[in-house]
Amino acid sequence: MRDLLVIEELRAGYGEAVVLPRFSLNVAQGEVLALLGRNGTGKTTLINSIVGATRRFAGRLALDGRDITRLRPDQRARAGIGWVPQERNIFRSLTVEENMSAVAQPGEWDIAKVYELFPRLEERRRNFGNQLSGGEQQMLAIGRALVLNPKVLLLDEPTEGLAPIIVDELLAALRRVTRVGATCAIIVEQNARKILGLADRVVILERGGIVHEGPSAPLRADPSVLERFLGVSGGAGTPRDPA
Amino acid sequence: MTNFLTILFDGVAYGMLLFVLASGLAVTLGLMNFVNLAHGAFAAFGGYVCAVLVNRSGVPFFVALPLAFAAAALAGVVAERTLFRHLYRRSELEQVLFTIGFVFMAVAATDYVMGSSQVFINLPDVLQGQIDLFGVGIGRYRLMIIVICGLLTLAIQGTLARTRFGARLRAAVDDPRVASGLGINVPQVFAFTFAFGCGLAGLGGALGAEILGLDPYFPLKFLIYFLIVVTVGGSSTITGPFMAALVLGIADVAGKYYVPKLGAFVIYALMIVILIWRPHGLFGRTVAR
Repeated sequence: MRDLLVIEELRAGYGEAVVLPRFSLNVAQGEVLALLGRNGTGKTTLINSIVGATRRFAGRLALDGRDITRLRPDQRARAGIGWVPQERNIFRSLTVEENMSAVAQPGEWDIAKVYELFPRLEERRRNFGNQLSGGEQQMLAIGRALVLNPKVLLLDEPTEGLAPIIVDELLAALRRVTRVGATCAIIVEQNARKILGLADRVVILERGGIVHEGPSAPLRADPSVLERFLGVSGGAGTPRDPA
Repeated sequence: MTNFLTILFDGVAYGMLLFVLASGLAVTLGLMNFVNLAHGAFAAFGGYVCAVLVNRSGVPFFVALPLAFAAAALAGVVAERTLFRHLYRRSELEQVLFTIGFVFMAVAATDYVMGSSQVFINLPDVLQGQIDLFGVGIGRYRLMIIVICGLLTLAIQGTLARTRFGARLRAAVDDPRVASGLGINVPQVFAFTFAFGCGLAGLGGALGAEILGLDPYFPLKFLIYFLIVVTVGGSSTITGPFMAALVLGIADVAGKYYVPKLGAFVIYALMIVILIWRPHGLFGRTVAR
């Protein structure tokens, strides 16, 4: 498969602080990549750098053969980056439907298809963003990224703080989404074990660099690598925000 | 009774005019957090454009109105792109100093180009005089103002609440970083909104020349009124400034009629009471719709 997203020698951070000293990564068409690591290892900074929301000191990014290094965040989004931010950041003064229609771009995914994926959102289509539960917000954040019809879907801790039953529902939906078409996905997760079933490949970060990279299948059978780098056997976090 | 109704009618017309004049300021201040004290300069610009077109070039009044809107909107784009955008991230005091300086420059430039005397726009006959409705004398010009400003209010409200552009604007205000990361060109949305607000001010200036009087000091004279509309109404909604403009318009007209010497006292006393009683304005800080 050809590479859809190429990150070359990226040096990025915030202000004067460098979080990713020299980072390279390729993601192929159709691939689902799990990005793991303890807190503060640069996972979110990497996602934000792909979005264009960090300071770039050096390096380049290409999307589907097109150099996007110098594009603004809004131009990158239109070029095919679909962002599901860590805090979900639902627009609170927009309704569920407006949250999607405000950013939608033509393509395979439209609002009706998102409602098929998450019927709950259709029931709440006229509710405002600040009236949704945590799980509904996360569904909407994913739906909002999907209607951009992205080439790369970036999910920053999509299951954080959600009740286990909602997590299972979301992961099932993500499995359906990522198995379709020419997209690829990068999923940042604390919930390592749950995500292994969804991901093709695992990348583990430590201090802004890659310390392990490989297919996810062997890790499912032998979680010792996860234990070594994450200090946990992929245990589920404590749900604090049941939907 | 008849008198009272006429005053109420004039007050409503005055209030709706104030709303159209100030609504652009409500948007820049409430949605974009930019303290633009120069807002009245765009209103005056629209008024002068209309006066020159009608009085000197013989353009029909109703054709000159949209042109006044367009001219003020264009002036707004130029000012925003070249000057104001540098101040979005600055402190409010810096914004105040910068824009008040801009007002004084506008006043001086207008005086130089147009002269210091008050300008009147030659109105078509159809807008002059009164019509009698159930024994109440209704000024034709004020009736036109109520109709035009009422339609504009509905259009602004509808644009904000129902269009894709309105949703994108609200998204950009809610969370500019995420809106941008999801494909919304936030500076462009803000620039367009700013220009539209300036256009509305220009249209208000053209409509208001007859009632408010148009001279080079217009931007300063009515600055306080615009600020009252926005602060008393609460700058995060459109309904708030609309109600505040109506209350201000009616109170001002009634005050000037019943207690001419105390008129200004009444207005500012009302403003002070409301600001103490409701610090975030009559309608509080709620979602922009």
